[in-house]
Amino acid sequence: MAAKPGTASTTYSPVDPTHKTKPSIFTDSDWVRPDSRGFQQCRPAFFRTGAVNSASGSAYAEFGNTKVIVSVFGPRESKKAMMYSDVGRLNCNVSYTTFATHVRGQGSDNKEFSSMLHKALEGAIILESFPKTTVDVFALVLESGGSDLPVVISCASLALADAGIMMYDLVTSVSVSCLGKNLLIDPILEEESCQDGSLMIACMPSRYEVTQLTVTGELSAPNLSEAMQLCLDACAKLAQIMRSCLKEAASAAEE
Amino acid sequence: MEIDRADGRTPNQLRPLSCSRNILHRAHGSASWSQGDTKVLAAVYGPKAGTKKNENPEKACIEVIWKPKTGQIGKPEREFEMILKRTLQSICILTVNPNTTTSIIVQVVHDDGALLPCAINAACAALVDAGIPMKHLAVAICCCVADTGYVILDPTKLEEQKMKAFAYLVFPNSILSVLPEVSSPAKGEPVEHGIITSITHGAMSVDDYFLCLERGRAASAKLSDFLRRSLQSQFSGNSSKAG
Amino acid sequence: MGLPNASEDLSSEMEVDAFRRLFPLRYFERHLTESIRPDARPLRKARDTTIALGAVASADGSALAKIGSTTMLAAIKMEVMTPSLESPDEGCIAIDFHMPPICSPIVRPGRPAEVAPVLSKQLSDTITSSGMINLKELSLVSGKAAWMAYLDIYCLDADGALFDAALLSAVASFSHLQIPVVSLDYDGKIVIMSEEQKEENSETKPVNKEKRKLTLSTIPFSLTCILHKSYILADPTAEEESIMETLVTVVLDSSGQLVSLYKPGGSVLVYTSAVQDCVALTRQRVKELQNILDDAISGMEID
Repeated sequence: MAAKPGTASTTYSPVDPTHKTKPSIFTDSDWVRPDSRGFQQCRPAFFRTGAVNSASGSAYAEFGNTKVIVSVFGPRESKKAMMYSDVGRLNCNVSYTTFATHVRGQGSDNKEFSSMLHKALEGAIILESFPKTTVDVFALVLESGGSDLPVVISCASLALADAGIMMYDLVTSVSVSCLGKNLLIDPILEEESCQDGSLMIACMPSRYEVTQLTVTGELSAPNLSEAMQLCLDACAKLAQIMRSCLKEAASAAEE
Repeated sequence: MEIDRADGRTPNQLRPLSCSRNILHRAHGSASWSQGDTKVLAAVYGPKAGTKKNENPEKACIEVIWKPKTGQIGKPEREFEMILKRTLQSICILTVNPNTTTSIIVQVVHDDGALLPCAINAACAALVDAGIPMKHLAVAICCCVADTGYVILDPTKLEEQKMKAFAYLVFPNSILSVLPEVSSPAKGEPVEHGIITSITHGAMSVDDYFLCLERGRAASAKLSDFLRRSLQSQFSGNSSKAG
Repeated sequence: MGLPNASEDLSSEMEVDAFRRLFPLRYFERHLTESIRPDARPLRKARDTTIALGAVASADGSALAKIGSTTMLAAIKMEVMTPSLESPDEGCIAIDFHMPPICSPIVRPGRPAEVAPVLSKQLSDTITSSGMINLKELSLVSGKAAWMAYLDIYCLDADGALFDAALLSAVASFSHLQIPVVSLDYDGKIVIMSEEQKEENSETKPVNKEKRKLTLSTIPFSLTCILHKSYILADPTAEEESIMETLVTVVLDSSGQLVSLYKPGGSVLVYTSAVQDCVALTRQRVKELQNILDDAISGMEID
């Protein structure tokens, strides 16, 4: 039988009591990351375009356990209530599946990420190329494994490229977490939950321009500049992977 | 083998039917339909100008709003709305009033089994009352299959719960054609043997389903006659409405 | 239908794509007379179908099912609930079907698709009435605790036959489900047992040592067909569904029982012979799907 809405709140997810206390290794001077990466090493990135056939363009990205799908629709008719506009509009939405997180969530829209995604992409898209119309960028986080927003941003720019929307450059995004004295690039969920501060950069690597920069928490000035450089370097490498993914898709389509 | 029904009916016997039309003054058409203690009220508004989003503006749009007896509308009601909408779409002539919307509001007065068929019958009578152009009428019936493969018709709520499976079937009402048979139906079967809608719940064997079809069809003839008679008598009874 | 003669004349001059958009029905009917469909399938053949088990690491059971380009991701999360007084030995299954805005141009954020709740209801009805899952197997401590299996199905790409793909992914995720080993702690709460606890024979005993997998007795599979005039088209795409409106979904379980015959309206009436044809087609399809599912399961076991 299907659950009645009232009973849903009375269930709980069984927890593992041994995991309640967070491992204290993060504060020690020498420790390894849970997935045994180096501090300045990103997770292996996997991209694929054309994941959703009914969209004008789409992309799937997988960074470790973080799995994201982005569909792009349009340029299509703007909502009726919208005023006339010389430039195109960009509409972004990020939502999570109910099973994305370890404890079952509600699968609702993430308003904060939606507006962050919008701001990160807006500067890179040539909005003049589609006046009066709207491009919709919808992202669904299938599984959340840390650094969700940077993955969504990179994946979205790849989906936009797949849809043939004109951009100045691909937008790539990477985040860095600061734990004590250490800077960790591309943090996973566990690391994000005990970070002291973090920095996220979305940039257009070929133009060496930043579209969005977010700093939260505690970061010392030298750490900040080091973290920025780390992110920018990683973004440049990420762009190469994304570019080769697009090239592969294009050459496969030709055959 | 035989099942004793609490109300002493034979397996193929329907509960007493009643239908009255033109009972609401504000609505363009209305009808109440009851089968035993199950009673549904349907009101039709329209055709109103314009269609909803994502609907084809070249055709008339049908909108169904289901009002449960108590409480809020949930998933089962949404499903009923969709089934009713698709069923009514198939019997209405949608090309006569393109780019219009006809709303049908279905209010459950009492549910004692076979609710959806009762609602379909009520909506159909209300559409006639509102003068919406239709290809033919539809009659709906509920058939239940017991564990022994025994079929009973028009179950009460209690019977519905005891049975392992049931099917809601909707058949077209036979057409009394004034024209000679132009389009003879496929494979020599008469039109009233075709199924407009079929919804089943619970597992049954394929043969049981065909048995249900056969029984449902036989009973739908009786229902058709009743519907036709009640529509005709009321038309002659209050001709002011028709004019 | 409106301008049959006009379109007939134009068809020889017009480009194929333009003809497809302007006269979709005629375009399809031209194909049907040749017993072929625009995607080069015979009328009664379903699209390629694949199942990948264990697609979501954070869930207890998951599966990705693809029929053509229609893609469904189903995942089960197990939570603990207090069983109701009427059935103290039974767990519960909650099925929800989601159509996120990524799956189709019709769905917009904030405005959920009309069909999503209807499909949820249809799926949970089908799974309940097929008797595939014995709810007693979800019991943990009689009257105290039982599993609530939350099954969420996400449509990632909507290209017709949504119910078929959703049901397939649901069934596959149940066959992949691994129930975690749990024990009762001192507060009467159910907690997950860690690897060390299982080995070191501590005083906490697992409550569900043997019940790690569900026994799926009879598995339901479905096939949706379009009826158009006297043609029957199996496994329609979204384009076909939008042009020809009469759909029949037949659900049969692995023992040949009819679980559901679903035809909500539609302009074409079904006669007994057509019902028989649809049931026969579904019988074949059930065998195909059963094999695909078995292959996916045996593929998992090798890994």
